[in-house]
Amino acid sequence: MLKVEHLTKVYPNGTVALKDLSFEVPDGEFLVIIGLSGSGKSTLLRCINRLIDPTEGKITMDGIDITAAKGAELRHIRRQIGMIFQHFNLVKRSSVMTNVLSGRLGYLNSWSSTLGYFPHEEKERALAAMTRVGIADKVHSRADALSGGQQQRVGIARTLMQEPKLILADEPVASLDPVLAHSIMQYIEKLNEEDNVSVICSLHYLDLIQRYAERVIGLKDGVKVFEGLPSEINRAKFKEIYGEEAQDMRATALV
Amino acid sequence: METLKSLLHSLKRVLIIIAVIALLVLSIRVTKPDLVKLVSSFPKAKSIMGQLLRPEILGRESEKITVAQLVPVPCGSVANPEVPASGPRITVDPPCGNPKDKVQVRGYELPKNAELSIRWILPDGGLLSIKNAVTNANGELTETMELRPITAAVDGKPAQLAFEITLPEGKVVASQTLKDVLDAMFVTIFMALIATTIGTIFAVPLSFLAASNITRKGWLGSAVYYIVRAFLNIIRSYEPLVLATIFAMIVGFGSPFAGVIALSITTAASLGKMFSESVEGIDSGPIEAVTATGANKLQVVVYAVVPQIIPDFLSFTIYHWDINVRISTIIGFVGGGGIGYFLSQRINTLQYSQSGTALLAIILVVWALDFLSSEIRKQLV
Amino acid sequence: MKEKTSRSRLVSIFLSALVPGLGQLIQKKYRAAIAIFLAVATSIAVVAWYGKPAWYILPALIWLWNIWDASSLPGGKNAVLPILLWLLMAYGIGGQVTEFNLRALVENSKRSKDIVSAMFQLDFTQPKTEKKEGFTDIQSPCSATPPVPDRTVNGVRVYVVEPCATVNQTITVKGEGFWPNTPTLIYWQNPIGGKAMDAQVKSDAQGNVSLEWVVSPYVHSTAPDPTVPQIHRIKVSQSRPIGGIELSDVGGYVVQGIYETLALAFLSTIVGALIAIPFGFLAARNLMTGNPVTTAIFLVTRTILNIVRSIESLIIAIIFVIIVGLGPFPGMIAITIHTVAALGKLYSEVIEGIDSGPIDAVKATGASWPQVVRYAVIPQVVPTFTALTIYRWDINIRSSTIIGFVGGGGIGFFLWQWIVLQDYRAVGTAFVAIAVVVIILDFFSARIRERLV
Repeated sequence: MLKVEHLTKVYPNGTVALKDLSFEVPDGEFLVIIGLSGSGKSTLLRCINRLIDPTEGKITMDGIDITAAKGAELRHIRRQIGMIFQHFNLVKRSSVMTNVLSGRLGYLNSWSSTLGYFPHEEKERALAAMTRVGIADKVHSRADALSGGQQQRVGIARTLMQEPKLILADEPVASLDPVLAHSIMQYIEKLNEEDNVSVICSLHYLDLIQRYAERVIGLKDGVKVFEGLPSEINRAKFKEIYGEEAQDMRATALV
Repeated sequence: METLKSLLHSLKRVLIIIAVIALLVLSIRVTKPDLVKLVSSFPKAKSIMGQLLRPEILGRESEKITVAQLVPVPCGSVANPEVPASGPRITVDPPCGNPKDKVQVRGYELPKNAELSIRWILPDGGLLSIKNAVTNANGELTETMELRPITAAVDGKPAQLAFEITLPEGKVVASQTLKDVLDAMFVTIFMALIATTIGTIFAVPLSFLAASNITRKGWLGSAVYYIVRAFLNIIRSYEPLVLATIFAMIVGFGSPFAGVIALSITTAASLGKMFSESVEGIDSGPIEAVTATGANKLQVVVYAVVPQIIPDFLSFTIYHWDINVRISTIIGFVGGGGIGYFLSQRINTLQYSQSGTALLAIILVVWALDFLSSEIRKQLV
Repeated sequence: MKEKTSRSRLVSIFLSALVPGLGQLIQKKYRAAIAIFLAVATSIAVVAWYGKPAWYILPALIWLWNIWDASSLPGGKNAVLPILLWLLMAYGIGGQVTEFNLRALVENSKRSKDIVSAMFQLDFTQPKTEKKEGFTDIQSPCSATPPVPDRTVNGVRVYVVEPCATVNQTITVKGEGFWPNTPTLIYWQNPIGGKAMDAQVKSDAQGNVSLEWVVSPYVHSTAPDPTVPQIHRIKVSQSRPIGGIELSDVGGYVVQGIYETLALAFLSTIVGALIAIPFGFLAARNLMTGNPVTTAIFLVTRTILNIVRSIESLIIAIIFVIIVGLGPFPGMIAITIHTVAALGKLYSEVIEGIDSGPIDAVKATGASWPQVVRYAVIPQVVPTFTALTIYRWDINIRSSTIIGFVGGGGIGFFLWQWIVLQDYRAVGTAFVAIAVVVIILDFFSARIRERLV
């Protein structure tokens, strides 16, 4: 159970990215965050695993205060929270295997992993993760030799290595074409259903939202403007969240 | 308005041309190019170039024959020696004498038309070369010589007059010059290798300090960033040869070490700059991703930063090794050691065909390394 | 199947023992094979050249590792060990032959501190001063009728109370008409102009100077026969600051040297660039490989450019110093030649990279060949040519700072003399001047290049 209370983030240049945001995510829920770019979605996700430090407010996971954690405790929390990125964020020149294994670093002895040594069972685990997302044949390829969809699957395999309780997905399909987008979303949904992992995912496409989300939160300028079921989002609501520009967005075509 | 603009534009162009011409005139007055002298020294240039283009690579194996004869100075200091009746031999007439006496020296049954050098083997074993001569078609030789005080017998041991004849044996072997050049070339390549290694070791931390995305945070970071940048720029403004002079003053002229230090420092500075640009260009995405998995700082560096910069670093380092070999070929001019030292000595003593050998070696090695380094760098990208 | 593996393993081991890398070769591990062969071959070559048999242990170990590696089918062993061995060989022998000795630096730390601290005391300017001087001639040793040592010029009088000077006797030197209360230097000049003795006194309130001086035997040190009377000179000189500063002697030479350096670099860049243009066209593959004759010209030009480029301009400079004598001219020739080779190559690459589209377009309008060159080729190459030339100018400025080491003119010429004379203050001044000039010009050239591209 993730609980966000009165979360506020003000950047040093004065931009208010999040304003007094509160919500809860029960275990195993698939929560989708929507909103314009710049509405605070990325900031919210990065506050949850503390890639960004919030200015005010409190985030707790299973009663543990994430916002107060430091050092080793923080790393311990982070390894339970997987993250999937829009631009995959793979080390392009490293092999797929190394990229996937890097998801396990939070569990490993710092010195041996620094020297590039991974125990045999970790390699087995990595192969299993790759098999699960269908890229086992690419073990020794360099990450930049893969297509976008394959790279995102490497990203998911990396997250699997963490054995996460929660996955944060920051517009995971925004860089992919619609067909690939569905396949990636299905992998995430599978994790959500089979492993009972909670998912917080930011999305743009209305059809994806209605197909995958259990619950939706809409953000506008860092403020929660909508919270409810995907079926409650109609054209008017969408316009309210995305503003008049929504007319130009691909998402509206589906309404 | 439009005409005014184009007028200004052409005015600017004219001004630039005038400035360039003015600078050229000034430069010519300072540099004093003397084309007449260049043309008039053409014969000299031709002879030097001719020798440079005939590098000494192969020599002939040779046999040395020495024929010697005792010469008692003064007479009676030792018994007059016997002269063999046949075979290569020297007669001295009169057979003994006092210093400043003139004697006639004859050689018989020597190799025909052979070059030989006439020298004294002094009582203490020292050699005193007198002159070079050539035997006639019968293998004979006649010379008149003056006896010197230095040839006087010491403790009953007389000096000997000797003819040393060098006979080409016909077997072609690598010349001594070629061996010396290879030796010097090895040293040169090692100088470059060691300097590149040391330079790289120092360049890595310097590059992180000089990378704006890593260091320029807070006032202390900014201060470090600007100081390191300034330091790198100052060092980079010197030719390695100029820096080598300082170290030569400190550790002494004549050792390759001074050159190696100087080269290491310039390498650290220019690689530091190149590396820092590569560090500034890294993608922050993987850093974020690896941090998000719960990895610690060291693991983030090893798994997200290092893989991104290693190929660039290696490629720059190999490129710099290539450059350093080039510079090592001249660093011997001040520091000593390596092919540069060999070359400057040979040129200063006007031994141009030996210099030609060194130049040939430089060209080949620089070429080969140029090729090798660009091939390796192609593999790395 | 298993038997087959073990047989091919034996074959690999045998072949690798015979020739390093051969076993890996037949296992189709080509990269490993080449790397192993090169590692063993280079390390044996280096050890053989170095000539100390003990070092053969390292190539031998790499050889053994290679056999071990060949025995592991189908994978290979971790290559860390042989790489370490090879590096040990390279740096071990390399350190020996380059006389690498960090202790030399530490042992000389006192000396280096002296040198470096002297270098930081720049000798560029000095306070402006004015001088008041007088002198008198004096005979030593005494003859029967010595000339009177008393001389007055412009109201400044210098005289000696005694009529002449005898070694080890005291004379009294007096001066009148000097500035009052000013430090005054009195020195003895022997007949050939050398300074034999000197003393520092202070003038009194009336501007008078007085000194009791014992005549040292050293004043006769250059005399062929110290018993023959000769005329010496006693000089009295005052100097005082008049405010403001001027260039010191060293400062003057530094300015002259930098001026020469810049002129040299500028001239050789311009001349070199102009000569390089035809070479660039002759060495451009796309223009020259049409028929056998031009292909031959292309190959010859490329080869010459490559050969000359690999010889540092300093080496070319020594040869020209011998041919045309000392001065900036041979340095200029050397840098020009190197510039032609380097720029010729770069220009040819620019020409090879031009877009044929505009050429076809201009041709299609019915333009003549010169028109095609003027309107389709030149506009494409000129900005890049200019940028490359300015970049080369940067390099040439650096080269001209050292070309004087071998007599080629510029700041290097003075720097080398100061190094030989161990005038570290002057050396430091030259260093600062080089850094300042090079950094400033770097900055401007980078700005100009940015605007061009």
